[in-house]
Amino acid sequence: MFDSEVLLPDLWDILGAVPVTLAMALGIFVFSTMIGSLFAMVEYRRIPLLRELVVAYKVIFKGVPMVIVIFLAYYGLPPTSRFLTSLVGIDYNGHSTPNWITLIVALTLCVSAFQAEVVKGALNSFDNGQAEAAYSLGYRKTQLFRRVMLPQVIVAAIPDLANSIMVIMKALSLGFAIEVVDIFAQSQLTAALNFYYLEAFLIAVFVYMVIAYIVTFVADRLERSLRV
Amino acid sequence: MDLSIMIPELLSALPLTLAITFTAMIAGFLLALVTTTFRVRRIPVVSQFADFYVSYARSVPVVLQLFVAFYGLPLVVALLDVEDFVSPNVAAMVGLSLYHGGYLSEVLRPAYLAVERGQHDAADSLGYSFLQKLVRVVGPQAVHIALPGYGNAIIYLIHNVALVMYIGAADVMATAHLVMERDYNQYQFETYLVLAVIYSLLCLVAWSIVRFFEKRNARFAPNTARAKATVMPSV
Repeated sequence: MFDSEVLLPDLWDILGAVPVTLAMALGIFVFSTMIGSLFAMVEYRRIPLLRELVVAYKVIFKGVPMVIVIFLAYYGLPPTSRFLTSLVGIDYNGHSTPNWITLIVALTLCVSAFQAEVVKGALNSFDNGQAEAAYSLGYRKTQLFRRVMLPQVIVAAIPDLANSIMVIMKALSLGFAIEVVDIFAQSQLTAALNFYYLEAFLIAVFVYMVIAYIVTFVADRLERSLRV
Repeated sequence: MDLSIMIPELLSALPLTLAITFTAMIAGFLLALVTTTFRVRRIPVVSQFADFYVSYARSVPVVLQLFVAFYGLPLVVALLDVEDFVSPNVAAMVGLSLYHGGYLSEVLRPAYLAVERGQHDAADSLGYSFLQKLVRVVGPQAVHIALPGYGNAIIYLIHNVALVMYIGAADVMATAHLVMERDYNQYQFETYLVLAVIYSLLCLVAWSIVRFFEKRNARFAPNTARAKATVMPSV
């Protein structure tokens, strides 16, 4: 039942999907961190009205499973993008959007709700006495942010950010439902060719665990070298 | 699209979803207790195995874990020489229990360690056994620290139950697909919106139950720093 001979060819097949998965994960990570930071800033500065909107956004995207968000984007984005582009007078067929773009948009929407939480936690860990010290030395707000806050906040956020990269990698596996090929989808395709399902999936498990190990290792190193 | 027909039909599959959720919740909790014990006590070999299991549960996507359970269980059953009882439902329950146990262990272990060091030492110096220490001193305090993380774990479990349709369990998602196909796939977006509302409500109920216990236990709160609840989702 279990054939170890297919393991090596399967591994090569599945490794072929790793660069694409990493690239997509990196893209989602960058976009969601930017949006999440914006959200966190809104909450940190306590901007009225916008703050309530951010809280509502977070509640919605934390309560709904990611699969459902992906399907909603898959069926909802094409008409929406068509409508939006028609407003500015461009005739764009939303249904020609590639699926991987839909997946990236859907996951970015989901993950930014969580990234906001990560950045907010890092901002809250900042010691306010340092801000007062900086003001007393005549720092301006932007100077305080760039020279005092940012270096510390980034270091404080590293473990959670590394964790979120892994979460995004795992979330990409849901993309097989809308025909985006990542590590998991590739293992399914490989298995479908030779009918050795368990073997292909175990190889995929191995690949995911190795990537997780590398990500945590690099994050640990980075944190240690950056910590003041 | 007629909501008054669609919603009862979707809800008719809810018992299976809930059955899988509760099985995974209970089995996963027991599994997490055992795993956490092994991980904090550092028994050679067994502890390493527990560490490996937790990193499997946390770094592999849940869909993949479900597929591994679905294709791996028959092999285990054949080895044990019992009659094959593995259906998609059983595989979903086993796969999600394994996932939930590993995830929860990473909630319970920090909670255990977050109880003030001096209390561990005091209990040890008074000659408490590990079990006595756990039940009488550390446990009651750790429960309070772990509750927010436990609430998150339950919510992610409910989210991940939506994935069991991929190994063929006929849960709410699968029923929704049947409903959509019967309507010639006209109302896919709307159906998924209804699903989103159903799952949000499930999460809301779970969250308010955990919140109730958090509030009730607030007066027993130890004066230590709270263990950081993992904010990240798990899929």
